[in-house]
Amino acid sequence: MPDGGTTTRRVLGVDVGGTFTDFLLWDGDSIRVHKRPSTPDDPSRSVLEGLDELGLAASETPALVVHGTTVATNTVLERRGARTALVTTEGMRDLLVIGRQTRPDIYALEPESPEPIVAAELTFELRARLTPAGEVGVEAAPGEAAELVRRALEGGAESLAVSLLYSYANPALERLFSEPAAERGLYLSLSSQVSPEYREVERTATTALNSYVGPLMGRYLEGLARGLARRGSPRLHIVQSDGGAAGVQRASRLPVATLLSGPAAGVSGAVAAARLSGFDRLLTLDMGGTSTDVALCDGGVPTRPDLEIDGLTARTPTVDVHTVGAGGGSIARIDPGGALRVGPHSAGADPGPAAYGRGRDFTVTDAQVVLGRLGSGGGRGRGGGLLGGAMPLDERRARRAVSGLVHHFGGDPHRAAQAVVDVAVANMERALRVVSVQRGRDPREFTLVAFGGAGPLHACTLAEALEVPRVLIPPAPGVLAALGAGAADLTAERARSVLKPLAAHDHALGAALGAALAEVAREVREELAEPGAQVDLSRALDLRYRGQSYELTVELADDGALDEPALLGARSRFDALHERRFAHHDPGAPVEVVAVRARARRAGAPLLGGASARAGSRGPRQQGPPAVTPCWFDGRRLDTTVIERASLGPGESVEGPAILTQLDTTTLVTPGWSASCDPHGNLLLERTGGAR
Amino acid sequence: MTGERPLSASELAIAEAALSAIAEEMGEALGRTAYSPNIKERRDYSCAVFDASGRMVAQAAHIPVHLGAMPTAVRAVLALAPFRPGDVLALNDPFLGGTHLPDLTTVAPVFTSEHTGAKTETPIGFVATRAHHADIGGMAPGSMPVARELLQEGLVVPPLRLVAAGEPSEAALALIAHNSRAPGERRGDLRAQLAATALGARRMQQAARRFSEPGLRARTEALLAYGERTMRRVIAGIPDGRYEAQDHLEVGDDGLAIRLALTVDGERASFDFTGSDPETAESSLNAVAAVTRSACYYVMRCLTGPDAPANEGCYRPVEVVVGERSVVSAGRPRAVSAGNVETSQRIVDVALAALARALPDQIPAASQGTMNNVTIGGSAPGGEGFAYYETIAGGAGGGPRRAGRSGVHTHMTNTMNTPVEALPLAYPFEVERYELRRGSGGSGRHAGGDGLVREYRFRAEATVTLVSERRRWAPPGLGGGRPGRPGRNTLRRADGVEVDLGARAETQVGPGDLLRIETPGGGGWEGPEPSP
Repeated sequence: MPDGGTTTRRVLGVDVGGTFTDFLLWDGDSIRVHKRPSTPDDPSRSVLEGLDELGLAASETPALVVHGTTVATNTVLERRGARTALVTTEGMRDLLVIGRQTRPDIYALEPESPEPIVAAELTFELRARLTPAGEVGVEAAPGEAAELVRRALEGGAESLAVSLLYSYANPALERLFSEPAAERGLYLSLSSQVSPEYREVERTATTALNSYVGPLMGRYLEGLARGLARRGSPRLHIVQSDGGAAGVQRASRLPVATLLSGPAAGVSGAVAAARLSGFDRLLTLDMGGTSTDVALCDGGVPTRPDLEIDGLTARTPTVDVHTVGAGGGSIARIDPGGALRVGPHSAGADPGPAAYGRGRDFTVTDAQVVLGRLGSGGGRGRGGGLLGGAMPLDERRARRAVSGLVHHFGGDPHRAAQAVVDVAVANMERALRVVSVQRGRDPREFTLVAFGGAGPLHACTLAEALEVPRVLIPPAPGVLAALGAGAADLTAERARSVLKPLAAHDHALGAALGAALAEVAREVREELAEPGAQVDLSRALDLRYRGQSYELTVELADDGALDEPALLGARSRFDALHERRFAHHDPGAPVEVVAVRARARRAGAPLLGGASARAGSRGPRQQGPPAVTPCWFDGRRLDTTVIERASLGPGESVEGPAILTQLDTTTLVTPGWSASCDPHGNLLLERTGGAR
Repeated sequence: MTGERPLSASELAIAEAALSAIAEEMGEALGRTAYSPNIKERRDYSCAVFDASGRMVAQAAHIPVHLGAMPTAVRAVLALAPFRPGDVLALNDPFLGGTHLPDLTTVAPVFTSEHTGAKTETPIGFVATRAHHADIGGMAPGSMPVARELLQEGLVVPPLRLVAAGEPSEAALALIAHNSRAPGERRGDLRAQLAATALGARRMQQAARRFSEPGLRARTEALLAYGERTMRRVIAGIPDGRYEAQDHLEVGDDGLAIRLALTVDGERASFDFTGSDPETAESSLNAVAAVTRSACYYVMRCLTGPDAPANEGCYRPVEVVVGERSVVSAGRPRAVSAGNVETSQRIVDVALAALARALPDQIPAASQGTMNNVTIGGSAPGGEGFAYYETIAGGAGGGPRRAGRSGVHTHMTNTMNTPVEALPLAYPFEVERYELRRGSGGSGRHAGGDGLVREYRFRAEATVTLVSERRRWAPPGLGGGRPGRPGRNTLRRADGVEVDLGARAETQVGPGDLLRIETPGGGGWEGPEPSP
């Protein structure tokens, strides 16, 4: 293909969220941003219509569209997936119903059963069995697999998942289904291909989820790719849950890898934007309407090996975000014991916060309005409110909504509003501590990257609480996921369970591990291979102390043979990692190799450079001296500077208290902090040491 | 912040979040660093934070049976005062702050600074962890034997200093480790508990710096009062009255009765178990009073909804009267290991049955009412032995809102299963069947959930210990709903001979033997609706 990876000139990043679809077009030296409502009935429509709305000339058509999508997620959450059949080993047909046999809320007197993704009548058992070592213990009867495929189709199945006990050690029995399923045109997922790792519940859930979302995802991507091709864009990539992108083929075959596509694209965008300014140790804060995602990034997008969705665990590399139910729309209330609670209930997009004109509940956004930091106060004289004045805020309505709370705060609406912000910030602070302090990381060594509609409004306060020295607000914080999508590298990752004691001097082990690694490495390399494109490979071992059930992934230093020095090196890195993560290690204890793992990466579009400096600057530069508005900070009324963010040129700065407005967000610079614009268009907030 | 001004609604919420975050972080650290699958994989542990006088101010939501029992442990170690920074106390004695022997508790006093001179200081609070160790010695692997007295169940650890001023007591550690069938695992798990305890102490010091010491005191007081207010409101919503219920444990021909009179009077509730049968020398089903309290607190906590804080204040308006040396208030030298895991479930059943008379629209029928404790152990000649412990879920009772869930842990436990594929690597057996026991849930307008079937095939000699209940008398239905089916424990020898093992058994198994556990279904709720 003429247009491989790094040579792509014009890239369009698209992020389809629940409410808005964001676009970010990069043409090598400038970017354009666009935002439009999503079309939940057919998400591809908003992508194609948005592309049309950009009004591009034929010569400006993007050569590559990279897409962050919630199609797979919503298919699962709304149970709209394919009618899926499941084949398990005899005696194991209820694995998905039983799960880990626990209830999510220990104090629920009537624990609910999650809606199953596989109907009981479509669950079949194969009599053939593997031994734990992967040998065929009981052979399959001739035609047994074909017969089960026939019965699945008879039951109305649109897709099939096969997950047999111990099949990570030998895929042979599962492969018996490949031919019969292909003959009947049935979408098929084999656990030995989708997730060849031990732990049957997670492997089965991953495989079933893949078949559950597969047919719908395939049709969606096919339709979208066709629509894009008609508009002259030949290539479509999908952002996966680990922040890397995949081609349409891989995403259709392995849709379970895209379940967290949206949040991954956001973190990916934060990493890309901050890297331009030379920061790669980040705490990211993505605060939206109903929830906030936080992550700790140390040199790249952090991943973990699995994700949980609606009570099911999918084993697939996933951006390691921690989510709390605190967003701009989170509703404040006093609980029966007299404590102020914020969230998890949210006013959502409809009716939304009271200040948006329809809701009655008092939300975090309303609290900011009452404190003067948003809406009529913040934007006075130049069309205050959100979306550059297109969405005015009703301050009086917000004040009415707080009336239910004020008597708990001495009748003072400002105290009540401050209390709501305090509790929301405490919720987010706790989430940031989970990903940093709880994992042995010191927030003071990191930069807080705030984005999402509400992130930049709360960033300074959070930074203060965590003693984070610096906050970075990317140029277009409201469409950062689209940027992340556009900048995503192509990635493929694959692990295979090994379950062997690690003995460095054991040449046979080294050879076996080397062979297994070579195989997974070949598989992921093939996924990304394209003439002329450079694919980087990394190899790793999942290790644990014998008897433990959590493993740590240890990168191998190079791609050399797994001889004694290489294995000893991996072992000592494991001890060091264990010490850092868990505060103890034991160099004398026996270690097990749980799995081998290979990751392939092909560079995506090189991002932005100086081009982003003017991003987000949509209006003319503001004239005259900056406006001043009264805002409340911890009970003090302070005159606060209000300027448009675009009016702050590279190298220029403003002292807090200040409010910086732009189309997609509002940034609050609290007293004692200053904001400056750097050459890359990133806004840097730093403590000036002044008294608060 | 001083003690004079009451805490605002936001300060209260923030303090609660800060203190429960400490307990949660301790739990996270313990779960990740422990060695045994029982702690790591099944998460059979709890962590909590206490104020200077040993009152529990935050607990991470782990295992309900630890709920009322953790404060007892902290009060027991107070006898070892004065403390120095870096001290960690440990215990498992059920009659001195423990529940049953496998649950080892560590408690650390927290001081404002880590280093101090010879001068004795007063701690600002305590942090504690409790974890179920897979083997603590005794007459059977897993330390949950079919026993007649406590000393048969394992090593008894009275409250002692496991770490003195930062210096671990090698003697105490060695004694505990050497009295286990898996000494290396014990050391690993204890080390994880000590690390989690130290972490909790550091975090509490930080909280004291953040809020100031008087500020922290004011906050813990306010949180306890907050818990009390929350619970008073819940009790006020229960109609006043005296509600009685009873049920039986499967001991002897007539069973052991647990009798309860629940009195609700305004904002106070009293659980009175006076009149329950005496403690028994026939089995280990004796519950210590702390377990009985945990079960009652759990039931009340279920009624509060998610907002209620997990602190001791909640239980100020709840009185639990246990009487002397009964099956719900055992004393030395009785065996108690099953009191914690089985009798606790029956106490919940009785408490819910009494509450159902007061709140018919809120309370479900009985759930499986047992934890189906399976312990498999053995010793390798010359090497480290093994002790594997797990509990098996069953059916939840049908209730006013919905049918009972199938194959789920109910009430006093919530531990995960061990993956079938994780077993053959570590132990000489495999699980060949793990599925719903169809038709075992009681029918009704909302049927009870189904129990489970789990079959183990052995490759080598091993000792199997089973401790279960509801093998004879089924989990009852409610309001006309049918009972669930009782469970069954069967051993099919390699030669084809099949034995019903009863509710509790200790037996030797060999290669080719198959152990089959069928767990009870939940009771149904109300009879089927009459046809119009």
